[in-house]
Amino acid sequence: MMELTRTQVVASDRIDRRRKVTRLTGSVAKYAAAVLLLLITIFPLAWMILTSVKNQREVFTTLLPKTLDFSNYQRVWLVMNFPRQFMNSVFVTAMTVLIVVSVATLTGYAFGRLEFRGRDTLFFIFIGMMMIPPQVILIPMFIFLRDLNLLNSLPGLSLSYLGGSLPFAIFLMRAFFKTLPSELADSARIDGCSEWRVFWSVYLPLARPGIAAITIFQFMGTWNEFMFATTFISRPELKTIQPALYTAVGRYATDWTALSSGLIMSIFPIIVVYILLQSQFIKGLTAGAVKG
Amino acid sequence: MVKSHRFSRLITPYLFLIPAIVIFLGLMVVPMARALLLSLVKWDGIQEPAFVGLSNYRNLLDDRVFLLATMNTLYFIVIMVIFQSTVPLLVAVLLNSGIKGGTFFRTVYFMPVIISLAITGMLWSMIYEPNFGVINETLRSIGLGGLARFWLADKYTLIPSLAVVSIWQSLGFYMVIYFAGLQNIPQELIEAAKIDGAGPATRLLKITIPLLRPVITVVVVLNTINSIKVFDHIWVMTAGGPNNQSTTFATYLYQVAFGAMGSSNSQLGYASAIGVVIFVATFVLSVILVKYGQIEETEY
Repeated sequence: MMELTRTQVVASDRIDRRRKVTRLTGSVAKYAAAVLLLLITIFPLAWMILTSVKNQREVFTTLLPKTLDFSNYQRVWLVMNFPRQFMNSVFVTAMTVLIVVSVATLTGYAFGRLEFRGRDTLFFIFIGMMMIPPQVILIPMFIFLRDLNLLNSLPGLSLSYLGGSLPFAIFLMRAFFKTLPSELADSARIDGCSEWRVFWSVYLPLARPGIAAITIFQFMGTWNEFMFATTFISRPELKTIQPALYTAVGRYATDWTALSSGLIMSIFPIIVVYILLQSQFIKGLTAGAVKG
Repeated sequence: MVKSHRFSRLITPYLFLIPAIVIFLGLMVVPMARALLLSLVKWDGIQEPAFVGLSNYRNLLDDRVFLLATMNTLYFIVIMVIFQSTVPLLVAVLLNSGIKGGTFFRTVYFMPVIISLAITGMLWSMIYEPNFGVINETLRSIGLGGLARFWLADKYTLIPSLAVVSIWQSLGFYMVIYFAGLQNIPQELIEAAKIDGAGPATRLLKITIPLLRPVITVVVVLNTINSIKVFDHIWVMTAGGPNNQSTTFATYLYQVAFGAMGSSNSQLGYASAIGVVIFVATFVLSVILVKYGQIEETEY
């Protein structure tokens, strides 16, 4: 090993130190950026929470509430008939999720594990449907529901969501079913199982993660939907949460404490679901998008 | 036994598909065909429709509000595609470079995504409020009161302010997609580049981005489609106003069909024509973008 001169040792130490400093400043800068973004993301939500517990007089003057006033929630709960709107949303969401999950599982299985003529073309067409903006079918759907006397009906609203929701759900379920091994089907068929048995008894029990993913998606999408919900239901007692809130905005235009309370109450269920199931959410989402 | 098995295998797939096909035909294809037919009539929804051929489309060309809607929609597309495709990528790269607490950050960044766009719009309406809203109040309290604006009324800040709401809400969504894409990049390539002396910027530009091309294409297509169909928060915040200044394809369609806040002049035929325009625009742009994204496959 070569003997390093004193100068060389000092110089190499200096380079090492400089590298460490650059790496450290790099880390600090990265962390600062991440925290800044965190604040920007959180701030509107935090403001909303703080405002919802403020006294009405404090709204425009202080940032942090001096007293915690929960009466805003009570007010909005009663005046908005919140429980009613909440149940409406629950009903529509449950019905839509049920139908979408059932149909998407069947269809995804067919596209992912069965072979038949026209399979890929048909799948391609289904996926194409994903790109259609809902506005395009808004008016025909309105007329369709009106003709069937399904306006101002929760099942009718749920029906209107199906066409737009299925393509993505089918896409995810197909991708999911494709990840399962085909030997299972082979051995089941050899044992004499009908195609239906292969699906029902062999693959379906394994489909839980995929079903979980599309359930979450559909839940989120339906719960948050605004345009169809506002258009197809005008009777106040049948409105779902989103349009009901919008109507409330008119009444509470300057009553921000009330409005914030209403918004928080509406977000609450979905935030709870998110916090409990966040990894599913994100996993399901990326599985679909990246496999695309 | 064998014959019925083969028959079962041939028929069953189609049986599995029946529910989807029924829904697809009845609740998608038929409405779309109907929209096309409706675009050829003049109808207020109550009296008899009157066939007017292509005159709805001709009227669209002369319609100043529709022209405004087109300009605004294009403006939105540009802003949203630029910001909602690039910023999330940078954030994903940031999180991917091994910051402590990366999962925590990701969880928080994703939170606005699960909030409905309508609620997000109502929230930001309060934030943008000129007299008491947080933005202007903060500016005034730090002495920058001169920068305070009528965010949702001033011609120059109107569309960007609306775009910011969408960007805030969707950042986490696209970030997560990019993040997953980044996970698929083999570590060896990055290491090799580092050894060759490539700095972070070079690595980003020459390696990461080219390898992420398919993901970037998906994100850009999604952004484009979303910019055309964006409705919820604009409707809630400005309803296309003030005075149609923030109207887009989607809000104009709604306005024409159902009137802003219950006006009586429904024009379902005219609105359907707008719907057809939306469809064609979305389709054409998507095809162009996907084709563009497929040229030059990177090899490594």
